[in-house]
Amino acid sequence: MTLAMRKLSLTVNGKTIDPIDVPETMMMQDFLYEYLNLTGSRMGCGQGICHACTVIVDGDDGAMREMRTCITGAHWFAGKKVRTVEGHATRDASGAITALSPVQQAFIEHFSFQCGYCTPGFVTGATVLMDELKRKPVRRADLEQTISEALEKHICRCTGYVRYFEAVRDVILKTPGLVKA
Amino acid sequence: MRARKLLGVLILLIVCGAVLAGCIFAGLFEKSVVAKDIDQPLLPDQMKSLAQRGAYVAVAADCYACHTTTGGAPWAGGLPFKTPFGTIYSTNISSDPDNGIGNWSRAEFHRAVRDGVGKGGRHLYPAMPYASYRKMTPEDVDAVYAYLMSRPPMKVANPANELTFPFNIRQGLTFWNLLNLPSETQTKDAARSDVWNRGRYLVDALAHCGECHTPRNLTQGMIPSDYLKGALLEGLFAPDITKDGLTRMGFTPQLLAGFMNSGLSAQGAMTNQMYEVVHFSTQYMTKDDLDAMSAYLFGLDALPKDATPPAPPKPVPVAAEVATAARGTYVALCAACHGAEGQGIPHVVVPLATNASLRLTSARNLIHTTLNGIPARRFPGLERMQPMPAFKDVLDDRQMADLANWMRATWGGEPPNVKAEDVAEIRKGH
Repeated sequence: MTLAMRKLSLTVNGKTIDPIDVPETMMMQDFLYEYLNLTGSRMGCGQGICHACTVIVDGDDGAMREMRTCITGAHWFAGKKVRTVEGHATRDASGAITALSPVQQAFIEHFSFQCGYCTPGFVTGATVLMDELKRKPVRRADLEQTISEALEKHICRCTGYVRYFEAVRDVILKTPGLVKA
Repeated sequence: MRARKLLGVLILLIVCGAVLAGCIFAGLFEKSVVAKDIDQPLLPDQMKSLAQRGAYVAVAADCYACHTTTGGAPWAGGLPFKTPFGTIYSTNISSDPDNGIGNWSRAEFHRAVRDGVGKGGRHLYPAMPYASYRKMTPEDVDAVYAYLMSRPPMKVANPANELTFPFNIRQGLTFWNLLNLPSETQTKDAARSDVWNRGRYLVDALAHCGECHTPRNLTQGMIPSDYLKGALLEGLFAPDITKDGLTRMGFTPQLLAGFMNSGLSAQGAMTNQMYEVVHFSTQYMTKDDLDAMSAYLFGLDALPKDATPPAPPKPVPVAAEVATAARGTYVALCAACHGAEGQGIPHVVVPLATNASLRLTSARNLIHTTLNGIPARRFPGLERMQPMPAFKDVLDDRQMADLANWMRATWGGEPPNVKAEDVAEIRKGH
């Protein structure tokens, strides 16, 4: 049996992927693993529930969107700008990490995760939330609920959610302009 | 001379009209179907023995779904109904004497349920399906009365309705009742079987199916000639559940009875208000009753032993560019859960290839669901359907229209007539 192929071109972590033959029915998660060797987006449930597999799609309007790669076909991302968990930290010319993103740093400082399987999804989700708050700050009184609503779809099975929650709240409060006076 | 005569006739007509309207308003044309002997209160022993059967009648009549809010006190009411005339709240029907029906007499309860007139002559709004409950037997109304009176009192005040003038005048319902309330009750059709008659009683009186599935006229009364032929309700279609409509969706009498029992079938999962109907009512109904309802809806005197499922609809051709675009969308966004061939995942995701929403004349339900998603849902027997994501931020109107057209043509055999503008309207909530 041969799989029907289609050319796919997109940008991943700032790097342009030249048109490449990808099976029409391949999910994005498999494409990231098998074609790009980017294994940070975790395969959890495989049916769009746990959100361990999410990536950021940077829209033309500058807004970020979180997408589940286990249930979204690779070809949906054609021509789009994708950011996986490997693309959050700052790197030098040789590719070595020079600084973690504020969300990543906050998760480390708060001991937010234990096994770390869900962490790429939480990094993605929290980064998208901060991007949304940059556009549309919330009142301080509504912050806790906003964080819960934005991240409750992410499933974690070992530490509970408290340290993720505290880390996200901390990094949001430390970043100017995300919370209204 | 002539002009004066005409004027006289006109004045006479106006006066007669006003007198007539006054008589209607005063309720002189209202006809109670509650017999005189109901004035006799039930004895404590009768109340006790009736209560148990009343629990089942109340389940079949699905009283709980409307008279209890999510997480609220049982039977304490408070569920809002948004109507074009304002918001109405369901009422406390627990045995509380101050807020509920604790000091309602047997006759007062009967008149509320069957005539739409509550204690003290206060008219009920037809959000309470008394036009259907009118056909209930006095024995069943007694049973529900006894059951509700056996429930603990809930001290929960009734929220005030928020209705605009003139709809906030309850007595005005006399006009609605004159136009829309059938004067006769249902009698047994001797030409049909007991099963058929029981099915009709369940469908028409207790389960009040027509309240949603029968289209309504300008005054919001059910149109008898369009009985159960499907109606638009809060932005979605309550499908045609006549024999033709059910067959079109792919049901056989057995499949339908099973669907009412479990909420799941190859035709999909019970959604929107029908999810609650299964949750609070039909899953608890006896097999005999569900079979009777199904037999009646299919016009049969008995549920047949087995029935051949209707042939799948013949695919309708779609323009090549629509098919290519839609297939791309389907593979990218739908196939991971609903399957490359629309087969779904057992116990997790409904199939699309046999889905009823692709076979309805209107694409509205399919589009509405794709745009807005469905939360995770538990079904009887430990079944659980995973949430359906909302795609309103992912698909534009054109992509959604192409997808709906392609799926409905390929699997539902429906003409690809959805336009991007139709999607835009549904997106706006129209």
